[in-house]
Amino acid sequence: MKFILFALKNLLRNKIRTLLTVLSIAVSVTVLFSLLSFTKGYEKGMTSELGKMGYQIMIVPRGCPYEAASLALSGGKIPNYFDYSVLEEVKKIPEVEIAAPFFMSAIIRPDEDRTDIYFGMDENMFQMKKYWNIKGSYFKDENSLIMGGDAAYIEQTDEPGQKFYVREKDREFVVTGILERTGTKDDGFFFIPLKAAQEMFGQKDRVTGIAIRVKDPTLIPTVVEQLEKLPDSQVITMSQLMGTMMNLVAQAKTLILSIIIIAIIISALGALNTVLMSVFERTKEIGVMRAMGAGREHVFQLVWVETLVMALISGILGIGIALIGMGLVEKIIKKLLPLAPQGSVVSFDPNTLLICLGFVILVGLVAGIYPAYRASKLKPIEAIRTE
Amino acid sequence: MTKELFTLEGITRIYKRGNEEIKGVDGLTLKIDKGEYISILGPSGAGKTTFLNMLGCIDSPTSGKLIFYPDNGEMIELTRMKENKLDEFRRENIGFVFADFFLLHSLTATENVELPLIFSSGKKVEDGYSKKVLEMVGLGHRLTHKPLQLSGGEMQRVAVARSMVNQPKVLLADEPTANLDTGNSEVIFNLFEELNSMGMTVVVATHAEELAKRARRIIFLQDGKIVEDKGGK
Repeated sequence: MKFILFALKNLLRNKIRTLLTVLSIAVSVTVLFSLLSFTKGYEKGMTSELGKMGYQIMIVPRGCPYEAASLALSGGKIPNYFDYSVLEEVKKIPEVEIAAPFFMSAIIRPDEDRTDIYFGMDENMFQMKKYWNIKGSYFKDENSLIMGGDAAYIEQTDEPGQKFYVREKDREFVVTGILERTGTKDDGFFFIPLKAAQEMFGQKDRVTGIAIRVKDPTLIPTVVEQLEKLPDSQVITMSQLMGTMMNLVAQAKTLILSIIIIAIIISALGALNTVLMSVFERTKEIGVMRAMGAGREHVFQLVWVETLVMALISGILGIGIALIGMGLVEKIIKKLLPLAPQGSVVSFDPNTLLICLGFVILVGLVAGIYPAYRASKLKPIEAIRTE
Repeated sequence: MTKELFTLEGITRIYKRGNEEIKGVDGLTLKIDKGEYISILGPSGAGKTTFLNMLGCIDSPTSGKLIFYPDNGEMIELTRMKENKLDEFRRENIGFVFADFFLLHSLTATENVELPLIFSSGKKVEDGYSKKVLEMVGLGHRLTHKPLQLSGGEMQRVAVARSMVNQPKVLLADEPTANLDTGNSEVIFNLFEELNSMGMTVVVATHAEELAKRARRIIFLQDGKIVEDKGGK
């Protein structure tokens, strides 16, 4: 019989107590692993999504710039507008490579529990969306419409040429193209010509934002400085937006992490209590082991290994639960977050797995020290005599 | 090579109970030779268990000298050894059998017997030796049984097998038949005789006079002192 097997068998003596301790640690590990996976996944998703935008700066109407920018990215009804003439001012800035105006609004259909996002754009936006693969073609006239991959799926439109009627606005479009899924919010949008959008929503010559690509990313601060002088609008860079979102996530992460640490400390104390109880119960047995020649170091190792094995099992179980529940966590997080990337926000990362396992091993090692020390201090004769 | 295995010189063990001092053993002086079979007799509280505990180094005397003579001709004063060395000494040389068997109920008979081997990384024992030892004590058919599936006599035989598995030089048995019926007690003492005939030194503390008489040497203790040493030199 191996030492480790003996330790394992000792843990199995009081199955319920061991199981409850394992579960309490496992739950903490599940939350820790999910949180770390989410942070990693969210950052990755946001970076990828913002990278696919094709622009570094966005001008939005006055108001809360982050709200407007996040609406522009995630889709929704932007309540403020500014004049199309701002575009001419933007184009005058020599460092600007492309300036793409857009008009975004939404039609809510509560009876169908759906919100259709209409994104009015011109050919400049296409220049920025080079990664788009369109089945069919770009806008042919003012009645053209391109459907995002998910939108086309919902509308059961798989071939260009079909008609699409917006009953709320009594407007008919012809689907000229279907967008292959991009893994971004674009997948859920209905793309229409800018003018058509302005007309359909009664905001002629007005836009909800301008996306700007700068010739050289190092020139972004210079361009921002000039854009800030424009009337009725505010400037936000994608890196600022990303930074703000990540800050929000980081703050939430710190809060949750604090709670997890408290939970882990409680679990570690629970593990310590479990092992200590089992040491007390086995006092006589430890005495007999000492009589058989087990040294203090053997007794210490045995109790320590027991705690460690228990922690390790908890860690593996906790990570397993987290992996199984990843889909559910993803759904919950996406519902709660104001701006969640279209792709996965929970990312499996081997480093996260190693961090969690390392952490739980550390918990096991720390929690096991005192019971192991207590057990190893027992004198054989006193331990054997214990009633 | 000396015949002696242990020399005890004025071994005294004093326990404190509150302000009262109790002498577990009082000035024990004797020699034990290799291969002896000794019974320790005496009433309860006479110091039999304390005597065995001293020999097995699981308790240390308050005063006196305990010397051990290994086969290499050296002379080791156990009373001056550090704790870790005493652990090693027990691992290498001592096998214990207790009245209450002290088997681990979560382990099978074989696993219980293997337990001392977990701690004796230095000493090589052939594979399957624990099974061999169990067969030797007549439990070849109970290898995978757990203690609660065994009778009292069988449990004590497992305990004897456990004490033998490290191939110790000395077997110390403290009231090994206290919880057994006559038939099973007989079996256990037969085992001791067998082990002794194989060269193992056996020291048994017992209340059972009839069984004690099977030893070649009988030491009577009273109030921690030797009152008679029959068969001793």
